[in-house]
Amino acid sequence: MLMGTNVCVPHFRPASPRGILRSFLLTLPMAVWALLMGFHPGTSTDPKARLAAAMTAVFMTALFFMMMRTGTTYRWRRWFFVSLGLLFPVGFIYNLVLARGTMGIPIEEMIAGRTPFCFLAIPLLIVPAALTRTLVFPGSITASSHAIAGMVGLWLALTLVLGKGWCAYACFFGGIEEGMAAVPPRARIRKLDPRWRYGPWAVLLAMVLLSLALFEPAYCMWLCPFKAVTEFITARNAIGIVQNIIFIVLFAGLVIVLPLLTKKRTQCSFFCPFGAFQSIFNKISIFEIKIDRTRCQSCTICRTACPTMSLSKESIARGETLLSCMKCGACVDACPRQAAVWHIKGTTVAWKPERARLMFLYAAWAMAVLFGGSIIASGLFTIIHFL
Amino acid sequence: MAVSILFGEALALGLASGPACIASCGPVLVPSLLTERAGVRANARYLSTFLGARLLGYLLFAVIAWKVGALVSMSPSSRVFVMGAVNLLLAGLLLWYAYSSKHLCGRSCATPKLVKIGVQKTSRTAGAATLGLMTGLSLCPPFVAAGVRAAELGSVALALLFFFCFFVGTTVWFLPFISMGCIARNEAVLTVARMAMALIALYYLLLGIVLLIGKNAYGH
Repeated sequence: MLMGTNVCVPHFRPASPRGILRSFLLTLPMAVWALLMGFHPGTSTDPKARLAAAMTAVFMTALFFMMMRTGTTYRWRRWFFVSLGLLFPVGFIYNLVLARGTMGIPIEEMIAGRTPFCFLAIPLLIVPAALTRTLVFPGSITASSHAIAGMVGLWLALTLVLGKGWCAYACFFGGIEEGMAAVPPRARIRKLDPRWRYGPWAVLLAMVLLSLALFEPAYCMWLCPFKAVTEFITARNAIGIVQNIIFIVLFAGLVIVLPLLTKKRTQCSFFCPFGAFQSIFNKISIFEIKIDRTRCQSCTICRTACPTMSLSKESIARGETLLSCMKCGACVDACPRQAAVWHIKGTTVAWKPERARLMFLYAAWAMAVLFGGSIIASGLFTIIHFL
Repeated sequence: MAVSILFGEALALGLASGPACIASCGPVLVPSLLTERAGVRANARYLSTFLGARLLGYLLFAVIAWKVGALVSMSPSSRVFVMGAVNLLLAGLLLWYAYSSKHLCGRSCATPKLVKIGVQKTSRTAGAATLGLMTGLSLCPPFVAAGVRAAELGSVALALLFFFCFFVGTTVWFLPFISMGCIARNEAVLTVARMAMALIALYYLLLGIVLLIGKNAYGH
């Protein structure tokens, strides 16, 4: 029943900065990647779209540069992540209204699969697909089987390398609550029952079973908090009204209020079934965060800094994070004794942690640019369009 | 010869309906099985009780289906009412089950290490039997199909045998669930199972209320 101590967390340790030239050279590959993603052949020639793409490329490159220069990760990543979370609904809602005239989707359209693809439903598809060879996902996948295989292959490759890193570097839903968690200087609620950490697994189990029983993606139909800021189910009867009330209450509670009170990503920590699903892949990902027991003084500052409650006294004593760690780097940056370190499996703890960090960041930031960059550019384009 | 063909038909219907039966019973069976003690034997016992009660539900249904032709003659509104009542009962039972399972793990389970839960003092047979009976009475599509076929048979004994064969066919699909006994029971597994049970119960509760007040989920 204990979580968090009443200590003032010195959030980002002053790391020894790299030289500007060295940082620039380390950033160069990422700058090229960001430009490639923004201006590859086939992108829009609209000057406003080009401006949005250029702004995104500069933004992503500048953040990576600062990571290289300062040696810290979390706060720069957070700038990207919060921007992603806030700009995603902007671009998405604009495109939705443009295509359909409304944010509401009638249930027939949902059943017919005329909805955009959403990764959150992926774990819900597996069991029904295995038993019935049918996808119950309400999204139109019109691409060829090769394209689908390519998408799955890309996701698998990224997941194998980054594990749950997806949740800190690519998910376009987590940014709003991370932004909310950053607002208050101190947490109002510090004691959180650690058993709530099992919430995502429970939601995953319940939703997989109900998806199979109802033959519909139960999470999308009943529990997704982000329906409140993306597309909601058109409320034409009592059920529709109840569904939308659930979406709004969950969004307000888990994404707005609780992060403000706890300074944690509560939706990700206590609810998101996709996060639980991704956690499994932390077991096979080569990158992880370790606690160097020879340096650690068990001050638990890292535990307080962790936005997803992925450190416990027991796990710190074992020198590792819990399975739910999304490798955001908050604990590494917060540790005053540099005991929390980036680590590559198979090597000894604290073996060249900065090299491990660099290798991880190149992969994670490349993914961030690939997925998040296009979403940020779309949101910026929408804003520029209306200005 | 005709009887053996009939039983073959029931068995085939059960085997073919297995995935649908798993889908229908899964939300009740899986979390409740996870709150059971670890070990294949304990889980096999729980599953046997659950399936036995489910068979009882089937046979009761077979008698009703044949004797009064209830399934065929029952008006859609009455059928919806029965479904709503069954869902509400199931929701209440699952909530009770989730609540009562909190005593299964003592404070020693607070450690994240895999700690086996000690021998349970309370018997869970009644709970397993009631859940099995409830799922046995729920009108899932393959069950209704079997009920309609049973209602056409010449005697109640044949109807009972038909449902028994249908049950045997579907039971084959449930056997792999015994392997869930191999999953170690610790605080994490128990909490996840209890939370999932509560969530599923809330869904059944909502569904039951909606069915009872006669609202259509997808209508205008």
